[in-house]
Amino acid sequence: MSKQKFLLLLDDLFEEDPGTLSGEERLEDLEIWDSLTALGFIALIDDEFNLIISGDEIEKCLTVNDLIGLVQQDVVE
Amino acid sequence: MAVARVSGIRIAGIANAVPEAVVINEDSIDIFGEQIVRRINETTGIESRHVASAEICTSDLCEVATHKLLKDLSWEHESIDLLVFVSQTPDYLLPATACSLHGRLGLSPHCVAFDVNLGCSGYVYGLWMASQLMQSGAFKRGLLAVGDTISRIVSPEDRASALLIGDAGSVTALERDDQASDMVFDLGTDGSGESNLIVPAGGFRMPTSTRTQERTVREKSNIRSDNDVFMDGTKVFTFTLRTVPNTVASALDTIGWDMDTVDAFVMHQANRYILRHLAKKMDIPEEKFPICIKDFGNTSGASIPLTMTEMLADTLRQKPQNLILSGFGVGWSWATAAITCGPMVISELSIVSNVPKKMPADL
Repeated sequence: MSKQKFLLLLDDLFEEDPGTLSGEERLEDLEIWDSLTALGFIALIDDEFNLIISGDEIEKCLTVNDLIGLVQQDVVE
Repeated sequence: MAVARVSGIRIAGIANAVPEAVVINEDSIDIFGEQIVRRINETTGIESRHVASAEICTSDLCEVATHKLLKDLSWEHESIDLLVFVSQTPDYLLPATACSLHGRLGLSPHCVAFDVNLGCSGYVYGLWMASQLMQSGAFKRGLLAVGDTISRIVSPEDRASALLIGDAGSVTALERDDQASDMVFDLGTDGSGESNLIVPAGGFRMPTSTRTQERTVREKSNIRSDNDVFMDGTKVFTFTLRTVPNTVASALDTIGWDMDTVDAFVMHQANRYILRHLAKKMDIPEEKFPICIKDFGNTSGASIPLTMTEMLADTLRQKPQNLILSGFGVGWSWATAAITCGPMVISELSIVSNVPKKMPADL
């Protein structure tokens, strides 16, 4: 998957307009980022990459790019 | 992972009871704000929950359900020779609630009674245990009572669980029957999940004290004490996705069914989001995947029998159904059953208002 397409999926998850997120955003600055959004992120990764990531891995992420980094091998710039 | 097969035991009937008091999730807007409550309701699918008052214990719910079920079955109380009570919210630290319940139900002295401490997986574990014991030939009729009143130990200011938990008690009647279809069970445990769903205080590791009852600000601004239940919802979700499809596949494989053979997949009603994702992941159509959470919330071990009686009553009363039952959560602990059951007695849901105080007379 392209990073651009992945960002569009994250725009949808974060309830933002398409094209809003660049990846640089800090998660703590995004009002909607909480455990419910994390559930949505786990489901999204499972749907798109058939990979189940753990809560511990998500907790280490500080930025949107860190989230994308969890599936780095499957995302192309 | 253990796989077990039980022969010659049938489910004769199921009855459930819930407390009368209903809490509407929208009423918590004052605490969490409108946006959070809306998102939690949309995600979990929960609108309201029956919650126990401080006078209602799990055993009270199970007691009412049992009287009703025995009446509907026309079974004499004296004919019961096994009572298994599965709960994490007992009446006392000791004696076992099964003994208290035995006394209040007026069961016979020859009836074996004991407690099992399990939650979300408890119904299927209990079904396995009771049916396995009965297969030995020592018992003819058994009662499996499963339920919890976890809402009594939820902090109203902990959004991870405050809007999620409802209370219910269930009882399932089991009987020896040579014609009954085999039941297959797949069971497992991963104790490394201990701290992700826990009430830290109140046992012997951390006895209750003035300190443990103090509600303080915890992770993500949630306010909670060590006497309250803690749940890491993200970790529960990951555990569920990693475990449930495998245990369901194992049970199907062992009994020799494919997906089409199954009439319904009755899962522990954790929350609607988890359930819908599981259904999609396992490729199960919506009509075979009953969700019974809108008016009850997550009722711990009682959620599977509650879903059977509230969503499948008409078919279960009339004809045999091939069911997959799967419970998963606190422990981590999980169990899946592949069973053919019905026609059976399904009692109307009992609504329990406050019950008389039942403290022993000398206390």
